[in-house]
Amino acid sequence: MTDHPIVDPTGHTPAPAPAPPGPGLGIFDKELLDRCISCGFCLPACPTYALTGEETSSPRGRITLMRALEAGDLAPDDPTLAEESSFCLGCRACETVCPAGVEYGQLLEQWRDHQWSGPNRPWIARALMALVSRPGLLRLQGLVRRHARGTAKATPSTATPAESVPAQSTPPATAGPDPAETPADDSSGQLSAGQQVSLMLGCVERGLYPGVSRAAQQLCPEITVPTRQGCCGALHAHNGDSKTGAELARTLGEQLPGTILTTAGGCAAHLAHHLGRDRVRELSEYLDAKGHQTVGQVTVNGRRARAALQDSCHLRNGLGVTRPPRELIAAVADYVELPSAGKCCGAAGTYAMLRPEDSKKVLEPKLDEAEEADVDYVVTVNPGCLRQVQQGLRSRRSRAKAIHLAEFLALAARSAPEVPPSGNPAQR
Amino acid sequence: MPAGTDLARDLAAIVGDGHVRVDEGALAAYARDATPLFTARPQAVVLPASTEEVAAVLRYATARGIPVVPRGAGSNLCAGTVPLEGGIVLVLTRLDKLLEISPEELLARAQTGVTTAALADAAAAKRLLYAPDPGSRTVSTVGGNVATCAGGLRGLKYGVTRNYVLGLEAVLPTGEIIRTGGRLWKDVAGYDLTRLLTGSEGTLAVITEATVALLPAPQDTGTGVAYFDSLADASRAVAAVIAAGIVPATLEFLDRKCITAVEEYAGLGLRGDAGALLIFGDDGSPATVSGNLARIQEVCAQTGALEVTLAENVARADALLAARRCSLPALSRLGSLTILEDATVPRHRMAEMVDRIDEIADRYGLRIATFGHAGDGNLHPTCVLDPDDADGAGRAHEAFAEIFAAAIAFDGTITGEHGVGAAKLPYLTDRLGEDQMALLRRIKRAFDPAGILNPGKLGS
Repeated sequence: MTDHPIVDPTGHTPAPAPAPPGPGLGIFDKELLDRCISCGFCLPACPTYALTGEETSSPRGRITLMRALEAGDLAPDDPTLAEESSFCLGCRACETVCPAGVEYGQLLEQWRDHQWSGPNRPWIARALMALVSRPGLLRLQGLVRRHARGTAKATPSTATPAESVPAQSTPPATAGPDPAETPADDSSGQLSAGQQVSLMLGCVERGLYPGVSRAAQQLCPEITVPTRQGCCGALHAHNGDSKTGAELARTLGEQLPGTILTTAGGCAAHLAHHLGRDRVRELSEYLDAKGHQTVGQVTVNGRRARAALQDSCHLRNGLGVTRPPRELIAAVADYVELPSAGKCCGAAGTYAMLRPEDSKKVLEPKLDEAEEADVDYVVTVNPGCLRQVQQGLRSRRSRAKAIHLAEFLALAARSAPEVPPSGNPAQR
Repeated sequence: MPAGTDLARDLAAIVGDGHVRVDEGALAAYARDATPLFTARPQAVVLPASTEEVAAVLRYATARGIPVVPRGAGSNLCAGTVPLEGGIVLVLTRLDKLLEISPEELLARAQTGVTTAALADAAAAKRLLYAPDPGSRTVSTVGGNVATCAGGLRGLKYGVTRNYVLGLEAVLPTGEIIRTGGRLWKDVAGYDLTRLLTGSEGTLAVITEATVALLPAPQDTGTGVAYFDSLADASRAVAAVIAAGIVPATLEFLDRKCITAVEEYAGLGLRGDAGALLIFGDDGSPATVSGNLARIQEVCAQTGALEVTLAENVARADALLAARRCSLPALSRLGSLTILEDATVPRHRMAEMVDRIDEIADRYGLRIATFGHAGDGNLHPTCVLDPDDADGAGRAHEAFAEIFAAAIAFDGTITGEHGVGAAKLPYLTDRLGEDQMALLRRIKRAFDPAGILNPGKLGS
């Protein structure tokens, strides 16, 4: 009846030592899988556990499942394994509360490598991975952009049409003081002055939200934008092909010289894992580290806008970057912290497409909060979150609009009086 | 016992289709709790939504002799919720309504599945304090806390869960729903079943609702740390503080091995030459807090502290408390098979006991570091092992048998706050004696004639 009857319930016999575990199937990195002490501290942090209240859909329960898979106690094609590996959002909120330092995100990648190998991979994920692996196809995304954004309307702040690769213009300079003089941000080191910074265009963002990259260039005229660049591989790593995910990250590392600047929190975390933390900066932490001085403010009906942040899970939980985006928003608008700002919005890469119902359940309370707080904008730092929150707000005809941080700051700058061509406010 | 499909069908008729799990994955996930080395799969997992559904499940199980193991969040550390004899795991997390917080009556009423932190936060929002604060409070449930009589960091000044339970709603294994106690501080009508069920570890009845006492929230809190050459010196300081008429809200200690592990892990700048770190704190009016902290500082200095620091603000206090919070993470990095125990001795024998633990650990070639609650003598000797070291687990088992025997010899106990469960049942007779063990079994039979509730644990 029991797996391992450790204690004889009728007697006084002390528990014998457990049988040593077998060699395992090699699906998981043993070190990573052993880390979990099953304390359960992750349960309240997990969005899917909040939905079901069931152990199987908690991080601890999923690690128990992974261990059963690895030990051969559950069949490799067990339906609960398939369901739970897919139901997990991969938001990594559990990692931030784990006292034992379990790298859950890595374990999930390894789990999906097994569960979603070959024909078992959901076709939507397969199609997307094929699309982003071929740079030529990326341009086609522009054609389906409007459909994919779920609307015929343009985003409120991107008035100009998109080009496949923005030209290097020199918009009003807003560079701050010497980066070497600015304090380090919450998670990363300082940038060395004069180092080359390459903007990563992002395979999803390039197609769906080209205005974001353009806004980033307006904010950071010093950056370069190499035209030949592929996908970072996060999509592959999160959808059962971590090998290709790692290869794409390394390739992109070779294509983009110097520091890689990205406007996508998810890409930042994936690249940092493979290329090293020092190679990668997400936009908000980059602006923060270089002491960026925001310009202007965002107004609505003549008053200062009320704006909330939706954290990017991998930026927050993977890289620990939380302060910079909040401070940047607060500099150009009245910042409102929504109670669930740090929790997953349900976009979670391909999740919103693969599991739309669950994705919506995760998103809904957030939209309620945004409406209750009566914000004008929900600012995001990742294209997936932008698409998710934007669609959610539009579908309920909410007054609030979703916008990427880069565009939000650019919108504020457009409200400011012209800066003289030679002007750098920080140097005057 | 009915076959799996029949069992699933029968249970679904009670709780609804979506709330019964019999798939192998779910059975594997509910085969364990937070206790290492104990695993046993149930035949079914049931998640009822009401007291009536709980009663129906229990009536069904009693009629067929099916074991039922009640479970909250599964954060317990004594294998108290492992279904050793299979059967049904009865998960109570869907009974999650906070029913009331009454500032006038200074009490709260909550369904069993509400997390302790949710209760404490709701009370705090009305400037009230729910005093029991087990380390697992963000995870663990009110029902689970009552069932294990959970402790926490404030035991000396504020007591433990049993000191706050006024009344319970519980379901007997035979299906009757009883309400013990109520909204009264004074009530001697009958045996104190509220206290009997508190700490009964799911072996007598299934707790479905609790009424608990609240206190006015203290206005202010303060924290400080002191380093000592040895734990014996720290113990003398603790005795002197209490003799001086101060009962601090917090008195936590780390032994030398914990200090080293925490420093290697977190680099907090702890003193490497200290044999013990004492974290003290108090709460109350600002004048009381600052007065008591100054006095504790003075007493520590007089009893030979190497260094005493008071936190000047909340952020600094958090930094000081980080050393205590980091203890388990730091130790678990040294070996992910982490056996966390809670042998408890009278406060004045704490230093002797930790010396004894060190001696036993050395003899068995084990890494056992000790931290814990200096105010109430509740020690957490923590053994860290490589999970593949089967021989190490065996040695740890023998070492802990000696540690529990030593605790009893020092007039202490085998568990201060984690519970007996399956993990410490083998040592319970040494603590209670044959006569009390027999009485426990007779009590168990009176509540649970069919012996279905959490078999193989207390009362078995």
